[in-house]
Amino acid sequence: MSQVFFEDVAEGLEIPELKKNCSTQQLVLWAAGSGDFYQIHYDKDFAQGTGLPGLIVHGALKHAFLGQLVHDWMGPKGELRKFGCSYRGMDYPNEDIRCRGVVTKKYTENGKNFVELDIWTENPAGKKTSPGTATVALPSKN
Amino acid sequence: MAEVFEVTDEVKAQYGVEGPPWTYEATTTSIRMYARGIGSVDPIHYDVDFAKSQGFRSIVAPLGYIGTPTFHPDTNDGTFGFPRRAGGGARLNLPTKGLLDGGTETEYLDYICAGDMLVETSSLADVRVRGNMVFVTNEAVYKNQESGKVVAKQRLTSIHIG
Amino acid sequence: MAEQTYFDDVKEGQELPEFTIQPDKQQLVKFAAGSGDFNPLHFDEKFPMLKGMGIADNIVHGRFKYAQVGRIVFAFAGYKGRVKKFGVSYRGMDLINTPIKVKGVVTAKKQEGGENIVELDVWTEDADGKKTTPGTAVVALPSKG
Repeated sequence: MSQVFFEDVAEGLEIPELKKNCSTQQLVLWAAGSGDFYQIHYDKDFAQGTGLPGLIVHGALKHAFLGQLVHDWMGPKGELRKFGCSYRGMDYPNEDIRCRGVVTKKYTENGKNFVELDIWTENPAGKKTSPGTATVALPSKN
Repeated sequence: MAEVFEVTDEVKAQYGVEGPPWTYEATTTSIRMYARGIGSVDPIHYDVDFAKSQGFRSIVAPLGYIGTPTFHPDTNDGTFGFPRRAGGGARLNLPTKGLLDGGTETEYLDYICAGDMLVETSSLADVRVRGNMVFVTNEAVYKNQESGKVVAKQRLTSIHIG
Repeated sequence: MAEQTYFDDVKEGQELPEFTIQPDKQQLVKFAAGSGDFNPLHFDEKFPMLKGMGIADNIVHGRFKYAQVGRIVFAFAGYKGRVKKFGVSYRGMDLINTPIKVKGVVTAKKQEGGENIVELDVWTEDADGKKTTPGTAVVALPSKG
């Protein structure tokens, strides 16, 4: 895994996108891993009974995808300080989920190099379904 | 109609040939999940203190559960979790139209409790063709990693449909 | 928690206390989680292999039924008994949300190698009374003496 350095980063930089497309099996694997067995994620009839159009992707899974996005970008020497998102729209199995991020700020504080990002998941219609932010500390080349 | 599979001498030559060992883990978390998966409410599968009060090392694995194979995406099957390793009949070119479970038999020499690490080795035991179905039987032996003692032996039959 | 069964009390032909389980999708998803078998055959009704096999709904894992047979055997053996062997074959499919009866009967009792051995026929039965998972078990039981 390559390392990104503070000097390489500029405000407005878009980080490499992570593309996801969840099979129903992926949702059940997530239920197993997380312990969340709510049926709206794998039982279509149950989901529709609650008024949903069909199965939906767990919000916490999208949160985890965004974690993976930031983790992959910041490299082994990056330190994740903070990250979060809110759930503003639903995503469905077998549809693309684009996980994206853009640098909004960089600054140095107490000798540490911080980068702030806007991060989000995006559905095929281009809607940001899980917008959030992340703060990471990056190593310097010096 | 041609047979969907032929039990050749090359196939028979694989009978009894052990594949490389694999590690299976039974943990408190995995045993509780399996017990929930079968709908059991017996506290022996959930409550460590209770299990110890009954003379067991820790919570007891429900019958049928012999730990979970350690998983790595490069080496294990994404659907079934089992290791994709050589041996144990892995090189058979079986039909793939359908796959069904044919039978399971376990011989227990000891209980399996949370904290147990088991080393499993398996080998191909039998292949039979009936119509468009190929019955493949594997034999697996599970040893406790710490004591080296055999704790269970299993015969597993899968049906491959062509 | 099951009452302890003693060898002295067991009779050939004795039936084990039966129970019925009707697994819904959540139960099968939990079993997928517990067993590590994530075949969509058991939870995705649109999974193409189902259609290919001419099956209308998700089918119950064979190993789920094996574990149910394990429950009846374990409950019979009690914490002081020892299950020495139990096996089944999968002779019929059970569909999700259908009742599965789990039953067993004592077929033999004998003393062997200093152990009190009880042999059982065990099986699951569908709503039509068909034995979908027939098998046998061997259990060693404590005696009262």
